[in-house]
Amino acid sequence: MINKNPYIPIPMKVIKIIDEVDTRDIKTFRLSFLNKEDEASFKYLPGQFAELSIYGKGESPIGIASSPTEKGYIEFTVMRMGTVVPGTVTSALHDLDEGAQIGIRGPLGNSWPIEFLEKKNVVVVGGGFAFTTLRSLVNYILHEDNRKRFGEITVIYGARNPGLLLYKNELAAWQKRSDIKTIITVDKGDESWQGREGFVPAVCKEIAPSPQNAVTVICGPPVMIRFTLPVFFELGFSKENILTSLEMRMKCGIGKCGRCNVGYKYVCSDGPVFSLADLEELLRDFATYK
Amino acid sequence: MLKKISIKKINDLAAALMEKGTLLAPVKEAAGHNFAEIKDPQQLDLNYYNTIVSPKTVFLPQKEDFVRYETAKPVAEAQPVALNIKATFLFGVRPCDAKSFQIMDIHFHASGIIDPYWQKRRDATVIFGCAFDLDIPAQDADFYQTLGIGAADPEGSDVFMVKKGEDLLMKAITPQGEEILARLAMLGEGKPADKKYFEEYIKKGSQHQTRNMCLDPQVIAKKLEDIFHSGEFWQAQSAACLSCGICTFVCPTCYCFDICDDTLFSRGVRRRVWDACMFTDFTLEASGHNPRTHVYQRLRQKVCHKYSFHVRKYGVISCVGCGRCTRYCPVNIDIYSIIQDAMKA
Repeated sequence: MINKNPYIPIPMKVIKIIDEVDTRDIKTFRLSFLNKEDEASFKYLPGQFAELSIYGKGESPIGIASSPTEKGYIEFTVMRMGTVVPGTVTSALHDLDEGAQIGIRGPLGNSWPIEFLEKKNVVVVGGGFAFTTLRSLVNYILHEDNRKRFGEITVIYGARNPGLLLYKNELAAWQKRSDIKTIITVDKGDESWQGREGFVPAVCKEIAPSPQNAVTVICGPPVMIRFTLPVFFELGFSKENILTSLEMRMKCGIGKCGRCNVGYKYVCSDGPVFSLADLEELLRDFATYK
Repeated sequence: MLKKISIKKINDLAAALMEKGTLLAPVKEAAGHNFAEIKDPQQLDLNYYNTIVSPKTVFLPQKEDFVRYETAKPVAEAQPVALNIKATFLFGVRPCDAKSFQIMDIHFHASGIIDPYWQKRRDATVIFGCAFDLDIPAQDADFYQTLGIGAADPEGSDVFMVKKGEDLLMKAITPQGEEILARLAMLGEGKPADKKYFEEYIKKGSQHQTRNMCLDPQVIAKKLEDIFHSGEFWQAQSAACLSCGICTFVCPTCYCFDICDDTLFSRGVRRRVWDACMFTDFTLEASGHNPRTHVYQRLRQKVCHKYSFHVRKYGVISCVGCGRCTRYCPVNIDIYSIIQDAMKA
């Protein structure tokens, strides 16, 4: 059944659940399509998101963490939200077992601008939990069919402590590859941590990626973004070549319900990916970087 | 095509339309008129100024069921709610409201993904617009003239109606209008004198006085961008605002909605319901973060969305000057005055 109504979710099966972090509040859900037609029509690019839907609980907009080069499934990494009042949908997702069915609507939003990134050096900067669509992008670029379309790839990824790094196995694999420079840092290591310590902005300053023919793609908590952007300005990156992905409360995901309206843009359908030049044009009552 | 009918026989017209589909028209309720389905031809009543709630309810009902589900059953077994739309006649729409449908069309079915519910309802509906009575002064709150809409403006209607003494003149504006008028046997042919009256009425309508200021969409859009960060301006404008949201509910061009699951004993419906940017939790995120916690930020969002963001995104102001938000605001916040002050700020 191909579902043409953009408000009705398509059914998916949870085929694998991966606990990502020590605190056990971030899980990756691998979903497979119940209908072949849905799978064929679900064509996405890194940076897009989908509404994960549990009937009786609601829907949540979550970035797609898998790469379109991975066939047969899609993945979402979800944090259980809320400390005082639990996030209804994310809690329900976390309570699921493998084999459960959920709904999704998507793919939604724009994506990381793949064509714009082609032939350029890409500096991927991520912090904490906000690494999901960046992981999708890196895996997309690293795929053998795609790698030669892009220049040098540098990944700078940080978390508060080693236990909070996502996708640990993949990070280790990237570190072994010669066609990607992977720098992993933690704010504070533990006894077993052999790697780098330091905040993401400081590490970016130290690594000092060249702005020549380069684009940086930054995703992280507001505080990280606030201190990382000036570093890239100083390095000489232009506002058009600094990209980020916005979050905002969403409902419909297709630019109709009005909820994620910021200035004359809808984050869901005009974004979530914006360049810093785009953002400065918007009237931001959501200033995170000023 | 110009037709006419004696107002005394208007009930025959109602009966004929009811045979052909669903007839919706202003119906008198305790507090005033509202659009509702006409069940008895005698209910059709032309003695109203305008309805309390705008006729957007016909295309964007306050509740729209999407899908029925049972929480214990697999997702694949949820049943989408079929939208069986009968031919609908929306009778007696005022010119400002008819214009609002065109503005909403840009959002719901002329840009991006098409909203299937809005589109199906729009396609199935014939709009019978009706001029304001030019012998009665416009109500104080109205300012549709400011938005370039005349009191007898046929734009946005399929059939446009003007009262002439004891008669109701009905002119087809669109092919849909032609078609339905041709099928209504009880209508008489309009005479040349009727045609002249109709045309002069429309001209006269554009002179019918409401509150009016010179307003260029691009100018006000830019002006609001310039004063967006003026906390003082917005705090003063919103000082009395209760965030009750009635302005958005009665508004013909407010479309924000929520999607929620309504479950009882494991059976439920996912539906969309009207929401409002004036409500405190409109932008509240699961993390607890809320980018618009202050009343002034929310009122600013509403005003700027209509008069600035919408202009930048779709090229038109998303307001038709119907005056409802001002009329029903419990604390007399008046968007016309806000725009006037903004222009001076």
